Amino acid sequence: MERTAARLIKIWLMVSLRAFQSQLVSTWASILFTIGKIARFLLFFVFLFVVLSSTKTLAGYTREQVIFFFLVFNLIDIMVQFLFRGVYHFRPLVISGNYDLDLLKPLPSYFRPVFGFTDILDLITLIPLWIYFLWFVFVNHLFAGVGYLILFFLLLTNSLILAFAFHLFACGVCVLTTEIDHLVLVYRDLTSMAKFPTDIYQKAIQGILTFTIPVVILITVPAKALLGLLSWPWIILAFVISGIFLWGSLKFWRFALSKYSSASS
Amino acid sequence: MKKYLQLAKITFQEYFVYRLNFYLWRFRSLVFFLTLLFFWLAIYGNRTEFLGYQKSQMLTYVVGIAFLRTIVLGSRSADLAGQVRSGELTKFFLQPIKTISFWFTRDLVDKFLNLLFFLIEISVVLSILKFPVYLPQNLPTYFYFFILSLLAVLLYFFLSFTLSVVAFWTEDVWATRWLFGVIFLEFLAGAYFPLDVLPSWLTRIIYLTPFPYLVFFPLKIWLEQFSGGMIIQAILVCFGWLIFFCWLATFLWKKGAKNYGAYGG
Repeated sequence: MERTAARLIKIWLMVSLRAFQSQLVSTWASILFTIGKIARFLLFFVFLFVVLSSTKTLAGYTREQVIFFFLVFNLIDIMVQFLFRGVYHFRPLVISGNYDLDLLKPLPSYFRPVFGFTDILDLITLIPLWIYFLWFVFVNHLFAGVGYLILFFLLLTNSLILAFAFHLFACGVCVLTTEIDHLVLVYRDLTSMAKFPTDIYQKAIQGILTFTIPVVILITVPAKALLGLLSWPWIILAFVISGIFLWGSLKFWRFALSKYSSASS
Repeated sequence: MKKYLQLAKITFQEYFVYRLNFYLWRFRSLVFFLTLLFFWLAIYGNRTEFLGYQKSQMLTYVVGIAFLRTIVLGSRSADLAGQVRSGELTKFFLQPIKTISFWFTRDLVDKFLNLLFFLIEISVVLSILKFPVYLPQNLPTYFYFFILSLLAVLLYFFLSFTLSVVAFWTEDVWATRWLFGVIFLEFLAGAYFPLDVLPSWLTRIIYLTPFPYLVFFPLKIWLEQFSGGMIIQAILVCFGWLIFFCWLATFLWKKGAKNYGAYGG
């Protein structure tokens, strides 16, 4: 088991290096994308800061807490984009039939679809964001204690597992329908609802965001954990929901793969 | 004229071939709209006025964003860049059809269909949430709003066309469009929030660009927050930007068409 994991990590590092090299080929595009990512973050940050400086609170949260939610959203969103960018490159593989070649390799069938491309530009923005996040948390005393910090990291890992489950589900849909782009973008739009504390939404919408498309589990729960605002039932629920989604996604992926018709090959 | 009508008919049929894509796109627009709406509802709470906007004015601004995103920022001309890169453009040079008219026709169909769905969606949301909407008190306001929105539609078309034509000279088309045509354009157009909530030094800089004429200024007219002189000024400046981008798009198109290498075509 350990040897398999080590081998997969080694392959992922090789794939990431190749992806990085391919991004270096188009340096100008990489620069523009990086500027865009930073500008989007800064413009939204300025907007939030200005609005919350006037209101002082949003749904019972202080200005610093709302910005904290926004930072956690960005951290998780960028980490997910960094790790699972391969999904955006999967459709051409299915349409061309080139995915056949990956199925012949001694790798899990989901490796290429989900981990087939790593966006190094996300890593470039992720590192300073982590530094700023930790600084912001400590300076504004948003850190409830060491136990909460451990819980935060556990729930962050849980979020990545949940995001993996969703991306794998999207790949399964792609195999069945050759559609994936809009589905992934729908996921991104829904997760962006958690830019703000999800308590601002009506109860019915909060319910949908917890159980149907668990954006709350993905972003709001880890954020609340670090603030010390999370009860035990929510912690258990977060792990249970992720487990169910992962199990369901793996089942669905196996089903979708059994219908793969190797188009064009 | 007849051939463009035929083109409109074909474009219309195309949308019904790729129905899932279109529905998912509409769903994404709805999610974006609801996120903004609930954010401002939470910010206002029991307040009636905030940052110079009555509650009904701010919520109308959010509806206005959704409306103008549909009729102004909804566009198909972005696909032109892909045609230049793939060589698919060659067929247009062989056909008795003007490229600019071709893309404008497709844009109009896109706007019409999206507008139809927007009207249904907004009616449903309004009937469920029953939030106050600001309607102008003076009849000329409707006329000025219509004129500036019409100019905004044309301005965005030529702006978008200019960005697509860049594909004649660079392979990094998507990065250029994403940075200037999505990130900067949408933020600086006021397609996320009213620009005058930002610090005044920043809004003064943004007003020097063509972007606020696409969303922000038309909505300020609708909300009757502009005096007569300011309305005339906004219309004239927008007209000036339109002439400039019309010239730039045509100039770049002619230059690019001469250099066109029909890669892959």
